[in-house]
Amino acid sequence: MRKILFILSFVLVLGACDKGFEELNVNPTAPNQVPVTTKFSAAQLYTSGERYENWRANLIYSSTMMQHLSTTAGYWSGDKYTWNKGYASSMIDRIYGNAIKTVEDMLVQLDEEEQPEEMKAITRIMRVFIYHRLTDLYGDVPYSEAGKAVITGNLTPKYDKQSDIYADMLKELEESVAALGSGTSGFGDADLMFQGDQAKWKRFGNSMMLRLGLRLIKVDASASEAWVTKAITGGVMESNADIAYIQHTVGPEGINKNGNGEAFSADSNPRMSKTFVDFLQDDPRLPILAARRSDGSTAIADLKGLPNGLDSQLLEEATGELDTDLYAEPNRSIITGEGAPMFYQTYAEVEFMLAEAAERWGLAGGDAEVHYNAGVRAAMKMLSIYGDDAIIADADIDTYLTNNPFDAANAIEQINTQYWAATFLNEYEAFANWRRVGFPNLTPTNYPGNETGGTIPRRLTYATSEQSNNPENYAAAIASQGPDVLTTRVWWDK
Amino acid sequence: MQRKTHYLLLFVLFLLTTGMVAQSKTVTGTVTDESGMPLLGVNVLEKGTSNGTSTDFDGKYTITVADESSVLEFTSIGYTLKTSFVTGKTTVNVTMAEDAEQLGEVVVTALGIKKEAKALGYSLTEVGGDELSNVKQVSAINSLQGKVAGVNITQNSTGAAGSSRVIIRGNSTLTGNNQPLYVVDGIPIGNDNNGSSGTYGGSDGGDGISSINPDDIATVSVLKGGAAAALYGSRAGNGVIIITTKNGSQKKGLGVEISSSVTFDEVDTSLTDFQTTYGQGTRGRVPSNQSEAFDLGLSSWGPKLDGSSVVQWDGVERPYSYAGDNREHFYRTGTTFINTIAITSGSENMSYRLSVSDLDNEDIVPNSGINRKSFSLNTSAVLADKLTSQVNVKYIVENATNRPRLSDAPGNANYSVALLSPNIDVRDMNPGANPDGSERGYSANIYSQNPYYAAYNFSNEDSKNRIIASTSLRYEILDWLYASTRVGVDHYTRKATNVEPWGTAYKVLGGMTETEGRYTQIDADVMLGVNKAITDKFTIDGLLGANSNHIKTENLYLGGDNFVVPGFEDISNLRDQSRSRDYQERKISGIYGSLGFAYDKWAYLTFTGRNDWFSTLSYPGKTTPNNEFYFSVNSSIILSDVLELPSFIDFLKIRGGYSGVAGGGDSAYQLSPTYQIFGQGHQGQTLGRINGSSVPNADLVPWEKDETEIGLDLRLFGSRLSLDVAYYQNETTKDIVNISTSVFSGYDSATANIGSLENKGIEFLISGTPIKTEDFSWNTSFNGAYNKSEVTATNDDGNPISLDEPRTQNARITHIVGEPYGSIVGVSYNRDDTGNIIYDIDSDGVPIAQEGERKILGEGVPPLTLGWSNTFRYKDFNLGFLIDGKFGGQILSGTNALGYSTGLHKTTLEGRENGLEVSGIDGDTALPFTTTVAPEDLQTYYGRVSRIAEEFVEDSDYIKFRELSIGYTLPEAMLEKTFINSVSVSLIARNLFYISRSIDNVDPESTYNVGNSQGLEYFGVPSTRNYGFSLNVKF
Repeated sequence: MRKILFILSFVLVLGACDKGFEELNVNPTAPNQVPVTTKFSAAQLYTSGERYENWRANLIYSSTMMQHLSTTAGYWSGDKYTWNKGYASSMIDRIYGNAIKTVEDMLVQLDEEEQPEEMKAITRIMRVFIYHRLTDLYGDVPYSEAGKAVITGNLTPKYDKQSDIYADMLKELEESVAALGSGTSGFGDADLMFQGDQAKWKRFGNSMMLRLGLRLIKVDASASEAWVTKAITGGVMESNADIAYIQHTVGPEGINKNGNGEAFSADSNPRMSKTFVDFLQDDPRLPILAARRSDGSTAIADLKGLPNGLDSQLLEEATGELDTDLYAEPNRSIITGEGAPMFYQTYAEVEFMLAEAAERWGLAGGDAEVHYNAGVRAAMKMLSIYGDDAIIADADIDTYLTNNPFDAANAIEQINTQYWAATFLNEYEAFANWRRVGFPNLTPTNYPGNETGGTIPRRLTYATSEQSNNPENYAAAIASQGPDVLTTRVWWDK
Repeated sequence: MQRKTHYLLLFVLFLLTTGMVAQSKTVTGTVTDESGMPLLGVNVLEKGTSNGTSTDFDGKYTITVADESSVLEFTSIGYTLKTSFVTGKTTVNVTMAEDAEQLGEVVVTALGIKKEAKALGYSLTEVGGDELSNVKQVSAINSLQGKVAGVNITQNSTGAAGSSRVIIRGNSTLTGNNQPLYVVDGIPIGNDNNGSSGTYGGSDGGDGISSINPDDIATVSVLKGGAAAALYGSRAGNGVIIITTKNGSQKKGLGVEISSSVTFDEVDTSLTDFQTTYGQGTRGRVPSNQSEAFDLGLSSWGPKLDGSSVVQWDGVERPYSYAGDNREHFYRTGTTFINTIAITSGSENMSYRLSVSDLDNEDIVPNSGINRKSFSLNTSAVLADKLTSQVNVKYIVENATNRPRLSDAPGNANYSVALLSPNIDVRDMNPGANPDGSERGYSANIYSQNPYYAAYNFSNEDSKNRIIASTSLRYEILDWLYASTRVGVDHYTRKATNVEPWGTAYKVLGGMTETEGRYTQIDADVMLGVNKAITDKFTIDGLLGANSNHIKTENLYLGGDNFVVPGFEDISNLRDQSRSRDYQERKISGIYGSLGFAYDKWAYLTFTGRNDWFSTLSYPGKTTPNNEFYFSVNSSIILSDVLELPSFIDFLKIRGGYSGVAGGGDSAYQLSPTYQIFGQGHQGQTLGRINGSSVPNADLVPWEKDETEIGLDLRLFGSRLSLDVAYYQNETTKDIVNISTSVFSGYDSATANIGSLENKGIEFLISGTPIKTEDFSWNTSFNGAYNKSEVTATNDDGNPISLDEPRTQNARITHIVGEPYGSIVGVSYNRDDTGNIIYDIDSDGVPIAQEGERKILGEGVPPLTLGWSNTFRYKDFNLGFLIDGKFGGQILSGTNALGYSTGLHKTTLEGRENGLEVSGIDGDTALPFTTTVAPEDLQTYYGRVSRIAEEFVEDSDYIKFRELSIGYTLPEAMLEKTFINSVSVSLIARNLFYISRSIDNVDPESTYNVGNSQGLEYFGVPSTRNYGFSLNVKF
């Protein structure tokens, strides 16, 4: 009898064995959804980027390849065309896991919540902006299936051809700008770039169409012209008030800070490239952008650029100079702060593109000089976003333009060299535009043991983890695009 | 709720049995051998019950038995079982007869149940506590290395306060926790790792098992297979290590035991043999000025050392000659003092043992060490007639300072010390800080830390307060029926502060973190057991139980960057602050039972079954199961009792069994995606995102592991020689795996029930007593295990599962279908069809080895482990030594790779004067070439070779002289007139030297974490030799 009672007691216990387990496994520290506006703010900051990829992909590689910056430090691979795979893939390593993942998730949430069309349009423009940097830097990248593991279950996205990505990005821009109206979007102030101003988003969308359209110049000139025409008709940026940028703050956390600024805080090695300083010789921007490392002097005579592609021994052999602190570095009192703005696309760039469109096809009024002058003026005036120390007087700009007038004979080179100067620190863009048009005329370095045979790299390389985590798609991408090396050209750069 | 039910049940049990109490009686007596000598440690058991005691030093015992009809059984290893009736007696003196068959050995099995070894149908190894406390280490578990077949212990190069990796019969999960369940005095304890180093550095925060004071350990039972572990449930899928701590005896009066030991650790500089003839420089010339010396950092590509005056990193000119071994200059002699005082006392109804212990370690890395104070109180008492209780409480306070940083260079003193050029004396870098507190860097690579700055200015401190307590009650309902309950708690708080100071070269304004963690594990059982002789020959024993296990962890984190006031290291002084909290809670409930049959003491059969429910697999609306039933069956037959065997065979047993186990994974909240608001917003706007970087899985079900085992136990020649052999094979299926996903998926990993893996292995233990005389004896034992593992499934596509990569980033530990657990997959040489290496010839004519595809270069876990231990006793002296070895595995040496690129490796000496002849295939022309690499181009050539992982994967085989101890016990005659009972002193040494080793320059055991990615070496704390003394006095 007693035994039966014992057994009965156990059975009672058994019935209650997983009581409360379902609730226990609901994470008490994380909600099941958050407002889509909060994700948009985060996505914009993620697009601006963290220190990780800004340091590696933007500064160490792109800025030195473009001879904006220069250094003798060995780990600055871009100066010497050496191959640090981890640095090279840094943008992939970070951006897919934060910015891409967030915008893909936003698009699902916007649909589910039946949010207004303009919010979707803005998100789609943001998505195009993020992706165009990735494909410009790497070529074929996962696009249609990427960042959607929770949405579709796809853990190994295929790599889309850059030609397909471009076609889709341009279609996305076209549809998005068409969906935008006027007034404030549902994102409101959560939109850190334009505070929800739909008109500005529309102009930014068209300006991006202008940028992407021009990228096609080598691979399909007529498509390039068609998209440029469409962008101009739709209405591009009209003043420095339209500039797409994020204003960063010095804290409290990494996400709030300008990733370039964080890298400059941590790294005292970068100097201004001799190429860039030489170009800026009679330019009022020089003492704003550069200062002597040793004492912060901005006297023009003190601002010496460091030649690219040298280590300290080669520097000594080449110049007799030993002390790299005597060279100019990015001006730490103005442009390298952690709270500095991060520019996505500027009105100055737009004017230079319009100048090129006028020169090539007679578009945008057909007068390249007008756009060139407007571009130079905008590029100098916009520095005031860095602060009051960076305001350039109109008279100085006039003098500069008088001394450096539009040169119709070398228009494309002149316009794009100015474009290069105007995209200082937005090195992804400087690198893409240089590959597109071949200007400015940069003399490659030839550091001993470089990986490119003494030529400037044409792309950065994929994450090595893909070889084990996504091998079939990685192999297919290489079969399609060419070897995963620095010298392989992307589709629009053929 | 669960626990309350258990208590209620117990209460019901008591009510039901009230009124059944019979008249008990107490029996005392003395047990002697045939020569009349008192026998110590004889087990005295009330027959048919588990009521028992053991004899003391004087052979005396006291036991309270149920009634006049009780029967006492006396058992002791090496003696035949003796039975005695107590009817009408209060004193029962017994003389034991020696027995070659050694039948009566009793071992601790699952749930603390003591069983006769011969009844076991599975493999269990018991190790005496003195094996762990004789040659003491900060973490006692390391002392098991080489002593138990099938137990593979990896000692890390993570410092004295670091963690251990213990794997029993191979790994059983691809990405989850593979370490065994530790059960201390009947309750499971936490063994979480409080931080470890990875690709980008970090330090080893220590583990849970290292808290246990070696002097408190009475026995360690290793339950290797699933059969042994079935009663502990899913958490025992990796095997169980049961630690029983010492208890008092029922001997009257006070006993005092003092144990003291001191150990000295010295860097084993013999392991690394780098070149000492070429100094800092580049392309065969010395730096021309301070700036260049600073830029060159760790480049040892200068000319031959010639004693001339050459400028160094700090602008000081010093002789360009060998500065001596920087490891000797930088590291100090480590010391570990362990002092334990234990008091035991007892009375008829109660015994207790109280111990207080202090461990004080100064690690070889300057300014680093750990202090551990532990207090332990074990009591057992007869509370009332038939009701016994045990209460065990341990309180442990651990304070560690400056756990050394490992792996990647930042903050890692070991990295710089290992790689400095031969002409640079590390002591010139002391002090590591300038007067303003900023780092005195020696290299333009800001991540190469001044070692003194890393040791003295970087700081980390952690303190852990831990209580492990258990209480159990046992009630003898009938002479064949008992009920028991046990509740245990393991709770700790751990506070850690980590500072990267203001002025650090790579982090100019510095930063710090403060974390506070809480861990609580509560485990409760109720059990009903029977043990009944049905007939003279046929007995059954069984039990039915229920278990609840509940684990909560919580971590609060404060941190940030950029100190405002230099040198003031507090969170409040950080310009940029952040904070976070994480929390996890999970539960497992189980119902289990066991039923065993014994026939005539030679045939045994045991069934177990268990059903576990997992909260980690539960979620509202989930339709797939959150629980699983699994069972085991095993049998043993004592053939020597039933067959006519040759007379030299004393004992022959065969055993075999099958067992299953299932589990719910290690983590909560893996089933559904969640979001989070993070950071502190931006310009007034809130930031939100998807939480985490692992793709959840709503359909997760339990993983399963099956194991079959057969074994044989043979004793020969009067038990002078014995052999224990086991063959097993196990398979894990539906393993809950974190699959590595493509970086383009937006996630790092995804959780899935996909993986499967197998282990097949053989274990043996041969032990013998070749010589045994009155004055001299020699005991020797040789154990070995070979475990062949194979990954049989990874994900749907059969893609590899990626684990960690080393900082060199040219390889990765990877699970590949059809290959052993944890392959080392890395960059190989690009070769033509006939195996010739293909090179690119650069513009200077230097052949640059092409990087080939990533190939399997080795396996990180050595499949074969061997251990040979010996004890010699001559009169009052004893000498023991242990030699162990591991074979068949490989290791990727980051030290050797950087030895190539920095020019420190001796291989790089060839060609320094006259150039190096290289032949191979020119990648451009596909034609063979032979060229001489000029001395100044060697660094370019070796720089590229250093990236080829294939060059640096070597066998990790070794045979090591692991342990040596020489002891002396004072003759009892000398102590007869004193109050001292015994005195013994020992001279101890560990890790004396490698008898053989396949890899050059590094310790084959020097991995830098205890995770699943074994086989990677990268600048851990150098290996040490350890010497010491210990003293044990009993009053």
